[in-house]
Amino acid sequence: MKPLIIADRQFSSRLFIGTGKYASSRIMAQAIEASGTEMVTVALRRVNIDDENDNMLAAIDRNRCQLLPNTSGARDAAEAVRLSCLARAASGICWIKLEVTPDPYYLLPDGEETLKAAEVLVKDGFVVLPYINADPVLAKKLQDVGCAAVMPLASPIGSNQGLKTKASIEIIIRQASVPVIVDAGLGAPSHAAESMEMGADAVLVNTAIATSADPVQMAAAFKMAVEAGRIAFETGLPPQYAAANASSPLTGFLRDEL
Amino acid sequence: MSAKLKINGQNKIFEGGLPETLGKLLDDLAINQATVVAEIDGCIIERKDFARTPLKEGQTIELIRFVGGG
Amino acid sequence: MSRQTTIQTILAEKHLDQNPECWLGTLGNIKTDQVRQELSKPAGFFSFDRLLVLLSPAAEEYLEQMAQQSQRLTVQRFGKTIQLYAPLYLSNVCVNSCRYCGYNRTNAIKRTRLTIEQALADAEVIAGEGFRHLLLVSGEDRAFITTDYLIKLAEHLKRWFSSLSIEIYPMAQKDYESLFLAGIDGVTLYQETYDRRVYAQYHLAGPKADYDYRLQTPDRFASAQMRRIGLGVLLGLADWRLETLALAEHAAYLMNKYWRSQVSFSFPRIRPARCVHAQWPHLVSDKNLVQMMLALRLCFADAGMVLSTRESATFRDHVIGLCITQISAGSKTNPGGYSSAKQAVEQFEIADTRTPAQVAQMICAHGYEPVWKDWDVSFSKSC
Repeated sequence: MKPLIIADRQFSSRLFIGTGKYASSRIMAQAIEASGTEMVTVALRRVNIDDENDNMLAAIDRNRCQLLPNTSGARDAAEAVRLSCLARAASGICWIKLEVTPDPYYLLPDGEETLKAAEVLVKDGFVVLPYINADPVLAKKLQDVGCAAVMPLASPIGSNQGLKTKASIEIIIRQASVPVIVDAGLGAPSHAAESMEMGADAVLVNTAIATSADPVQMAAAFKMAVEAGRIAFETGLPPQYAAANASSPLTGFLRDEL
Repeated sequence: MSAKLKINGQNKIFEGGLPETLGKLLDDLAINQATVVAEIDGCIIERKDFARTPLKEGQTIELIRFVGGG
Repeated sequence: MSRQTTIQTILAEKHLDQNPECWLGTLGNIKTDQVRQELSKPAGFFSFDRLLVLLSPAAEEYLEQMAQQSQRLTVQRFGKTIQLYAPLYLSNVCVNSCRYCGYNRTNAIKRTRLTIEQALADAEVIAGEGFRHLLLVSGEDRAFITTDYLIKLAEHLKRWFSSLSIEIYPMAQKDYESLFLAGIDGVTLYQETYDRRVYAQYHLAGPKADYDYRLQTPDRFASAQMRRIGLGVLLGLADWRLETLALAEHAAYLMNKYWRSQVSFSFPRIRPARCVHAQWPHLVSDKNLVQMMLALRLCFADAGMVLSTRESATFRDHVIGLCITQISAGSKTNPGGYSSAKQAVEQFEIADTRTPAQVAQMICAHGYEPVWKDWDVSFSKSC
């Protein structure tokens, strides 16, 4: 399988994992290991100053796996930019998963604010991976302003509904000049495999693994599914033959030609 | 002599006076500096500057760290 | 495709601009199995490998199936409509010496340039026939057909025509920006041939000898926000299959980068022209031309496909229903040809000499609707 290149980094795994919703940091660490992932998303939140905190970051092997801070919680471009700067100050990492989700029910992204924030962040030297609705025109605009990838959602975060936006994602993939990472709503390994077979460059999975009865096993299953889907895509899927249906001939006029 | 700071949205009273620096505040709160980013009155303070950033009465401080997320 | 790629790099890396003959072997080795496989995939999406197969000699036996798919796809995307346009030739003065063209500066022909008034006289006739889409054409006559001339002409023409395009010499981006503001929103420019060696053989002198400047022209006018991009090769200069591969790569590049503009393909075939005597080693038969058109349609669901009056009435009648979306009718390719009694020299001989009304009738007879007007200048931000 060919390596995935995003900005100036190369990845041999096309499965990215989110670190939210796990029962414990220990299980999260084991699931990350089982998934073979080389990049995980993390969020920023206020430190709880009254209680003893367990440091989730310590559970991530930073040699094998890079962090991708996200701007979850941001409701507009200004908040997203602020969170991005905080993330960079906290970690020295200039990669950011840009998430602007004003609606707390479906957590669907606000494309307008995402584009505004992306423009500012790219100019400020961030490597921007924007999370968006499967909107092909928005995807083109984000690429034009310099985003390093686009991350269209398959279905709402945490819904596990799979590729509800398949037709639109196909268009995004066809028109893309940067990697396309299908994110959100992938509930089963088959969804991930389907995304890869369609030509997605990578997928991001969180809820389906973290909330599974056995996250370590599920992470391994997703790993296999992503690899299977990608190999099938690179090999070329066999055609589905439809019966030919000739009505009246259209090219008969050429037969008289010498 | 007591002094007040707003930390993470909560008003905190310091009976014996404010800690001298941001670094001292974090130590007092038993917060691991290596994983935290701080904002004072909306400005980000670099980690390397924690020990020499003085605190003033009435400042609004945000202490933020990485947590799990998708 | 990365955002930094240029069309030069693409053509060079695929060996389409120098020694493209290396692809002839691959084309010749394509098996019918591969053709059947491609034709079973959803139609309308481009990949270089797909186009190779559709252009191959092996695909010649599948033209009927390609035509059926192409017709369905074109009707699905464009409806049962054919858009009509007319060319208005402004000048046959030219500083280039293209060996295939009646306007070649070494040809001793009477040179005519239309003043604004004369151009408007022709335009009035054209508008009277029902056309609302106009294509302004000229030889490389920068001295007379200047940006200012075109701007002035466009101000007048905007009153009668809903969309204006130009097919003239390559210009600088700022000129295209000015023209766009004046109401011109489409540019057609044929690379003629993508093969650099062949290009050098046919374009001996004048600014047109600069292959790269010409190749980069669509980038310049697309950057100037032109809504419509017209591409093409002059069929007969080099091997048509190899030219189509390069043409398709050019189109795909422009569609990806300038995604707000629509790309159209034209299919000019070498036609007799006064004073042009030459042997043409790569003449394209009707069958070849149909295969080229169908292959492109099956790779580009949304591209416009334009057929001019260079082609005969019979050919046009048969091909209308296959993949074509725009045609000209009643064309005069000599400046002043519509309104003046004294006929200047044509750029090429017209083959379909039917009147616009007759052509419209033919379109209706096919079960299609002739569309005279499909836009309005008032929609463009320039107005």
